Formats: sequence, structure tokens, C-alpha cells
Amino acid sequence: MNNQIVISTPPHVKCKSTTKSIMLDVLISLAPATVMAIVYFGLNALWIVLTAVLGAVATEFVYYFIAQGGFANKCKNALDVCKKWWKQFDYTSAITGLILALILPSTAIWYEVLIGAIFSIAIVKMLFGGTGKNLVNPAAMGRVFMFISFAIAAPVVCNIAPILGEGTIATGASALSGNILQGNEAGISYLDLFLGTGVPAAAIGETCKAAIIIGWIYLAVKKVIKWWQPLIYIAVAGLVGALLALTVEGQSVDFINSFLSLTLSGGLIFGAVFMATDYVTSPKATLGQIIYFVVLGLLTAVLRHYTKLEVVSFVIVLVNLIVPLIDRYFIRKPFGYKREKKEVK
Amino acid sequence: MKAVKGKNFFAGVHVPDMKHLANGVACEVLPLPETVAISVSQSIGKPSIPCVEVGAKVKAGTLIAKADGAISSNIVSSVSGEVTEIKEVKGTNGSKETCIFIKSDGLDEKQWLEPIENPTAEQIKQRICEAGIVGLGGAGFPTAVKASPRTPVDTLVLNGAECEPYLTCDHRIMIEKTDEIVRGARLLAKASGCSNVIIGIEANKPDCIEAFEKYDDVKVVILKKQYPMGSEKQLIYVCTGRKVGLGKLPSDVGVIVNNVGTAFAVCEAVELGKPLYESVITVSGGAIANPKNLWVRLGTPFSNIISYCGGESVEPKKVVLGGPMTGAALASYDAYTKKTCAGILLMTEKETSVEEPTPCLNCGKCADVCPMYLMPMNTAFYAAAGEYELAGKLGGTMNCVECGACEYICPAKRPLIQSIRKTKAELRKKM
Repeated sequence: MNNQIVISTPPHVKCKSTTKSIMLDVLISLAPATVMAIVYFGLNALWIVLTAVLGAVATEFVYYFIAQGGFANKCKNALDVCKKWWKQFDYTSAITGLILALILPSTAIWYEVLIGAIFSIAIVKMLFGGTGKNLVNPAAMGRVFMFISFAIAAPVVCNIAPILGEGTIATGASALSGNILQGNEAGISYLDLFLGTGVPAAAIGETCKAAIIIGWIYLAVKKVIKWWQPLIYIAVAGLVGALLALTVEGQSVDFINSFLSLTLSGGLIFGAVFMATDYVTSPKATLGQIIYFVVLGLLTAVLRHYTKLEVVSFVIVLVNLIVPLIDRYFIRKPFGYKREKKEVK
Repeated sequence: MKAVKGKNFFAGVHVPDMKHLANGVACEVLPLPETVAISVSQSIGKPSIPCVEVGAKVKAGTLIAKADGAISSNIVSSVSGEVTEIKEVKGTNGSKETCIFIKSDGLDEKQWLEPIENPTAEQIKQRICEAGIVGLGGAGFPTAVKASPRTPVDTLVLNGAECEPYLTCDHRIMIEKTDEIVRGARLLAKASGCSNVIIGIEANKPDCIEAFEKYDDVKVVILKKQYPMGSEKQLIYVCTGRKVGLGKLPSDVGVIVNNVGTAFAVCEAVELGKPLYESVITVSGGAIANPKNLWVRLGTPFSNIISYCGGESVEPKKVVLGGPMTGAALASYDAYTKKTCAGILLMTEKETSVEEPTPCLNCGKCADVCPMYLMPMNTAFYAAAGEYELAGKLGGTMNCVECGACEYICPAKRPLIQSIRKTKAELRKKM
């Protein structure tokens, strides 16, 4: 025996999946949505995706390069630093960039996208400690930041523009809210909403629900997320939203129609599958996760109803902030736990 | 009795079991070693007190150390020969322990106890005590103490799960010594006053399940192939549907649990009078030339065992004493077998994991697989900050059974068991 043997605490075998492999699975699950974005919105979408992803990864690299001190020293061994960075690179910033790109409208301008990506990574993620430490979902926060700063991507009530193409798509991130209830009247069928054909003005990656659901199935099969998580969010948001729509006077919509248009339009499905399920910003234990997704659904439904805006990113950021509280107060009860009976004297 | 499926229990992990390496190899008897070194710390309680002098002549079965207190056990010599030395050596867990060195004369003369025919409950308990039998599942809890529970018990659960990967020693004796195990179980049931005998066997050992189905007084429960099915509280729940409360003993719900190896030792001690000085050890792993199951005398040097199995075929990355999920990593082969040794594994770099940890992702997988429904990530998080009280409170650390499922599943390869052990140690200091 030589001196190369390793001593450590058990277990001495570990499963194959690593942070990297999980993040790669997430990237793969985002691929159908990305492809459909490029199919529907052409080169515009491709540029947005490339700018956001490269911007996000480059920001992380620059931050890594300068943040840990010894800048001059690092410049000397730049190659080593690059190698070290690549070794610890876990694709999370690429995912943030890609998600950010997919929730932008195709009209976003390149420098706006770049600033959004830099904000997401540098401010929201790296300043809080990098992977696993951020308080809110970087992509959702970046989207909110861009909405406030540039007002470009304002998810306002949008017109039902003619079919897509020619780059004439109306502004507005999501075919939603104000028009959801009338969406059907405007001649867009639910199948169109589901496949994204003929739906104008949605964010590029949110348009094709079918592609998102393929990604959802992939994530669930790979056990990256629990399959019921997005379902709770979508169902609660749709049901409560439809109930609220019934309370509005003078509208001739039935429950099922408003439920379908609420769930199938806007960024709800995309946000539920890819953003709300983010490990870092969702609760740790199953009970906390159920509460988290129900709260997300409730808040989304209520805010959508009263603001007439697409609010999924806002809601995700808001609810992310109460996750530490959920984690603190919903501790699992150990196996064999019995509530102590108060002794009656 | 016809085998039945156990109750559903969902937490746990699916570890590749790797049992094919050694489960087809019948048990062989390791040739007598020239010298044995028998540690006096063979059970979970206090070390036993040596009762032989240097130079004393002993036979296989001669008492060499007496139990010190209730949770200690007698220790007998495993070879015939002469006591050459009694000194402190570094044990496998790094702490010092006293060892009795005996040089074998190669004659293997025996000094066994008197066989007992139709024993009473008291006689059985006394014999278990004299023979120095401890739980061979790993913890080394004296069986005599288990067989005299504080509260009345009605069910004896035999643990034949062997959920640890690689290990096949229980599998082999369940096939080769089925009848002895059942007779031992009947004796244990009689000693403790149990009327039912249940044996839990994991579904990956169909040959064992078949072998035990022949007995009418033994109920066979098939366990899902899932780690850690052999953990005491989980095993009791799956086999009987009873939940052992926190900080409670199995006897509080009327159950005692014993390993199949223990039942075999009880049978031999009562029917033949043979004290516990021999047990089966699995030698396996990707780096050993010929994986084997061996009958090994107590105190045999590991180097003897390794060389009998053909030595290293490739260079091992880790040498593990016990199973890969809970066993201790060894720094060298300079160690001696104990009663509770179940296996020696030589693992190649490909089999074991030596990856650097990456930041916690908060994915919650560790909590999902925890068989005790704890939250290991909380323990790790607060322990890293030195907040052991909070770590214990929010992570439920003191209820942890250290099965290692959380660390197995962790995608970030965090050293969770290490923080759990540290937290436990810190909390015990304050108690």
C-alpha cells in the first residue's frame, strides 16, 4: 500500500449527480423553449439570447477575476486563473442569462439586455456570495430591474397585433392580463396560445407553452425538480384568477375560459417551471415548498387581476424574500415524533 | 411462512449494491494467523478488564477479559497459545485501546463451555453473557442486555436486510446456516419472552427469502431494496408497523431487533457451548484480487486477510472497515479484526468519491432522503457558523442515525456527516 489512500468520514460512495450535471440538465430543459423562440422571432431572438448568456458568463468571470484580491498577481497568471475559474464554473450564470433572455420581448435592444444580464449576475448573485447564496432569483430580479429602468419591456396591456413576423411585433412582454379575458374574442384559440402560433407580443421564450412543458417533463424525469411544484403554482394562479374574474361585473366570460386564458397566456408557465423552482431561492423541505408555491399562485392571481400587468417576475422576487422565514418556521418533524401531551392534573 | 411485503417507507436512497462481487462465493475458513491481537474494546460500553497475565497459556475459548459493567462484554481467546503482550495500540478509530497479543501454537485446542439442552430463559441469558455475544450488526450492543428488556416485548425482529452495499457476509450465512439462525432466533425469543419471530430480508436476496420461507414459526418480510432499510427504527416500522418514538428504545414498542449473525452466535453458544470468537467477514471492492467471505478469528491482522484474498489487484484509493455507507476509512492494514467487523473493502478511485465540495445549492435532496425526516442542510449551515444549539434544533441532529444517505445524494458533495458528528460532539459537551 502506498500513501495515496484517502481518509474521510463516511459515506465512501456518492451518487453520480453533481452541481454541474444538474445545471446542465436545466440548460437542456431550456433548449426547446430557446429553439422555439428563435423559430418564432428569428435573428432578433438569437441576438438577445447570445447577448444575455455571454454577458452573464463574462460578468461572472470578471467578478471572479477581480473580487478576490491580488489583482496584479492574477493578471500575471491569467491563464491559471482562467483554468481555475473553468474548473469551478457550474453553468449557473449561463442559466440565469438564458432565462433572462427568454423572458424579454423581441424588441429589447442589445445594450439593455447586456445591462440586465450584468445586473443579474454582479449585483443579485455575486455580491450576495455567488452560487447558492443569492436571496432572490437573479433572472427574475434582472427582469424587474429592466422593466423599471428602461420601461421597454413593460408588460402592459398589449394589442392583439396581427400575426408575428416582419419584426412588427407590438411592444409588451406578454400577451396578457388586460386582454386575457378578451383574448378569445380576438380570434386566438387556446391551441394557438398553447403552441404560440399567432400570439403576438409575448416574451420570446414564453410564447410556446408546448416547448416549456417538454422542458418541465425533462426536469421531472431527471428528478431535478419535483413534478408537482409548477403544477401547484399554475393551478392556484389559474383557479384564483378565474374566480376573481367571475366577480367582475359586466363580463361575459365563464370560469373555464378565463382559467385557460389565464394559465396559457403570459409568463406563468415559464416562471413556474424554470424560475420559481430554482433550488437556491425556494424552501428546503416539502411542506415549505407547498406553502411557497401556493403563496406564489395566490399573489400572482391577485396582482394580475388588479394591476392588469404580467407580474410573474415581480411575484417570484417578492415571495423569494419570505423563503428564509418559511425555512425557519417549517421544520420537519422527525420520524417517530409525537406531540407531547399536556399533562392534565 | 410465505413471505410478505413490508410496509411502505419512502425516504432513503438507491445505492448500487455491488454485491455481485462476493455474494456467490461460499464462506471459507481463513487459516489460523500466527499472532492475534484482541482489543478489549469490543462493545459499545466500557472496555473489558484483562484477566490473563503475560505468559499465560490459553486455548481457543479461554476467557481473557471480563466484562466491566452492564453494557460491556466478556472476551475470549480466539486461538490456543501464549499471551505475549498486553499493550496500548492505536485503534481503527484513532483512539488508543488496550490489546492482548496471543501467539498461536497452531494446535487450535479448544476450551468451550458446556452445551445446554432444553435451556430456560435465564440459562440462555446467562450463556449469552458468558459467551461474550454482542450485536454483530455493527454497534456492538451486548445481546444479553437486549434480551432482558425493561418492558415486556412480544416480537423479535431479525435483521437480515444487509442494506450496506458490497457486504455479503449476512447473505452467505443466511444461506449456509439457515437452520442455526432459526434455532438461535427461537432461543433469543424464549430468553426475552417474544412470541413472534419476524425476519426482514431485502428483496435483492431472493435465495435467502426462499430459505426462510420453509419455517412455519418465522414470518419473512421482504424489504424494498433501499438504503437504509436495516436501520433499527425503520426496520421495525416496515416489519411491524410500529413507530419507535424519539429517544425511545425498540422495547418500548414491544420489539427487540437482532442481527442474523447474532442469532447464529447464540445458537452456537447454547447448543455447542462455543463462545463468540469467530465471525464472517466480507473482503470485497474493486481493488482486491479475489473478493471472498471468510470465517475469521477475533484479532486477526488485516494484512493476513488481504494476502489470503490475493492482495491488491490495483492500487486502492480508500480502505474501508465495514460498509461503504457507514464504515471507517483506514490509513493502513495495521489493524486487527473485532467482533463487529463485517467487512474490509478496498475501493478503487472510480468506486469511491474524493470530489471537492462545492457550495450548497439548497436543493433539499438531503432532507428528502433522510430516513429520520431531519434537515441535514440546516445542521451543516449552522454548524459552519459555530451555532451548534441552532444546528441541533433546526436540523434535528441528535436524532440522526448517521446512515449517510444525505451525503450520498448531495450533488454538491458537502461533508454533511462530518458536520453532524461535530454538532453532536459539541452538544454532548454541553449536556
